[in-house]
Amino acid sequence: MSSEGETAPKVAIGISFGNSYSSIAYTSGEAKVEVIANELGDRQIPTVLSYVDGEEFQGTEAKSQLVRNSKNTVAYFRDFLGKDFKSIDPTNCHASAHPVDAENTISFQIKDTEADQQNTRTIHDITTRHLRRLASSATDFLGKKVNAAIITIPSDFADAQKDALNKAATDAGLEVLQFITEPVAALLANDAKLNENSTEDKNVVVADIGGTRTDIAVIASRGGMYTVLATAHDYELGGAQLDQALIDYAAKEFMKKNKTDPRTNDRSLAKLKLEAEAVKKSLSLGASAAFSIESLSDGIDFSLTVNRTRYELLAAKVLGSFNRLIESAVQKAGLDNLDINEILLSGGTSHTPKIASNLQSIFAESTIVAPSTNPNAVNPSELTVRGAAIQASLISEFDREDVEQNTHPALTVAPHLAKAIGVLVGDEFVTLVDANTAVPVRRTAQFNAAEGDVLVKLCEGVSEIKVTKEEAAPKEANGDDDSDDDSDDEPEETREKVWKAGDVIAEAAVKDVKKGSKVEVQINVNADLSVQVIAREVGSKTGVRGTIEASA
Amino acid sequence: MSVSQINKALPTLPAGWSADKDFKAVGKLSAAARRNVEPVGPYFLAHARRTRHKRTFSEDDR
Ligand SMILES: Nc1ncnc2c1ncn2[C@@H]1O[C@H](COP(=O)(O)OP(=O)(O)OP(=O)(O)O)[C@@H](O)[C@H]1O
Ligand SMILES: [Mg+2]
Repeated sequence: MSSEGETAPKVAIGISFGNSYSSIAYTSGEAKVEVIANELGDRQIPTVLSYVDGEEFQGTEAKSQLVRNSKNTVAYFRDFLGKDFKSIDPTNCHASAHPVDAENTISFQIKDTEADQQNTRTIHDITTRHLRRLASSATDFLGKKVNAAIITIPSDFADAQKDALNKAATDAGLEVLQFITEPVAALLANDAKLNENSTEDKNVVVADIGGTRTDIAVIASRGGMYTVLATAHDYELGGAQLDQALIDYAAKEFMKKNKTDPRTNDRSLAKLKLEAEAVKKSLSLGASAAFSIESLSDGIDFSLTVNRTRYELLAAKVLGSFNRLIESAVQKAGLDNLDINEILLSGGTSHTPKIASNLQSIFAESTIVAPSTNPNAVNPSELTVRGAAIQASLISEFDREDVEQNTHPALTVAPHLAKAIGVLVGDEFVTLVDANTAVPVRRTAQFNAAEGDVLVKLCEGVSEIKVTKEEAAPKEANGDDDSDDDSDDEPEETREKVWKAGDVIAEAAVKDVKKGSKVEVQINVNADLSVQVIAREVGSKTGVRGTIEASA
Repeated sequence: MSVSQINKALPTLPAGWSADKDFKAVGKLSAAARRNVEPVGPYFLAHARRTRHKRTFSEDDR
């Protein structure tokens, strides 16, 4: 038991803090990550605070207040942190308390006490309250005082935003051990579960599709270390746009029988919104789902069944935008779609099966990780918070100073290989280590070998996209004249990724290899780009050693 | 330490090939790009430990 004067033991959780939802998770002693349910039983806690007669509500309870008490309900505020009032887009707050320019910062005017008066609460106050509630839910669950956290942030969060979040967390009684970015947290959680921390080299796209925004990161994963090659962001694309497609459809159906457009009345629109989101979520699992709203408008009840095909048609434009954003990020990284080994779908909207199937058709060679494509996939709504909890367990014992050193550019900024390094086997380039790998790095591979003396030719390599045009099959003589458009005599193209060996950097001879033996090649690339090479017959103690000098 | 298995055979040494200690460096690596490694996950922590203690991979193995 901690006696007075002694500092409380550090209890660290992971926090995912989105504009739409937040979540909390903890890694227990057995390295098992648990996403914590709050008092209402929710693991996805709406990032909403609402005040009724001075009482504070959070999460689902607060969100339902958007119908009757929207002016005293604060929602969609995460992205306002650390920003200038003039630079924010308040669109998402149309149906809740509006941000105002007060107290030299972004604020909300709400009745949050018993007195019938509007109080100005800053974005700092609101965020602090929200984080305090999250910490307290975790404390209740764990039965010990939570006082530290790893919090996930978007990959484009500026220093001012981090500072503001850090201050709010501190005031909420949480020491922020480290901020980690959402896509990296998601990838860490995915690798921990699906790939059992595999260190295989892969290029991964993490598509974080949330409620109000979509963030893409192209990540080189090399030996379990992650380097972000490019990011792309869309602040007007997310689940809310899918909700809107359903809202518009429902409103039009309602207007077929009734005169009023339920979208023109705030309360009706709020009801429609909540229901549209629920219908949308159901359509991720089921083939159909139904709106059922009491007294939607003019006292008239509303019900409407929507099937998945209809929904996907209504949402087609929005769904197409995800593909385009992802492809633009891949291009920005200087990669081709064929270079992408894996697409990890993160964020609540990633439950949508159509998003995964659309991606599979553009990225035919990539593994798409989503609940609809892999039953073992981590729940995309939980990926980031799980990553945060894993990182919390890894570093919670560290001293502040260690964490600071680890996150300092002196350690994180590293030279990365411009080209792959590999061995030439015949005229085929076999990759030992891929481009975009941070050095120092060590790699070892074992090759088959002919009996006798063999040559190890080490070279750099680059990949190329080889396009082969296949002549379209000749049209049948009696071809029907309604032959469709897409067969426009265009030769079919097949694209494939091929490796091309570049300059040779070293040669080594391994002599007297016994029949059936293997030859092991190990390279150690140092930070100055010098390389130690060891080549030897497996099982023999001696081998050939050599050094390639550092680049000038 | 992970070892990849390559199911392809290294070529026979060409006749007349010779080098001091059977090794010759022929070129150098292309210039590297400086990028940011994410300070996250167990493998980064191992990298950080090696760098901070100026240890090589094989010293780290021990
Ligand atoms: N099963 C589901 N099917 C479809 N959409 C879902 C599902 N579950 C949650 N969503 C949607 O995911 C979105 C929330 O995503 P997430 O939990 O990642 O929020 P967030 O990170 O706070 O979002 P943002 O910051 O972009 O607003 C909401 O639009 C929600 O309706
Ligand atoms: Mg998010």
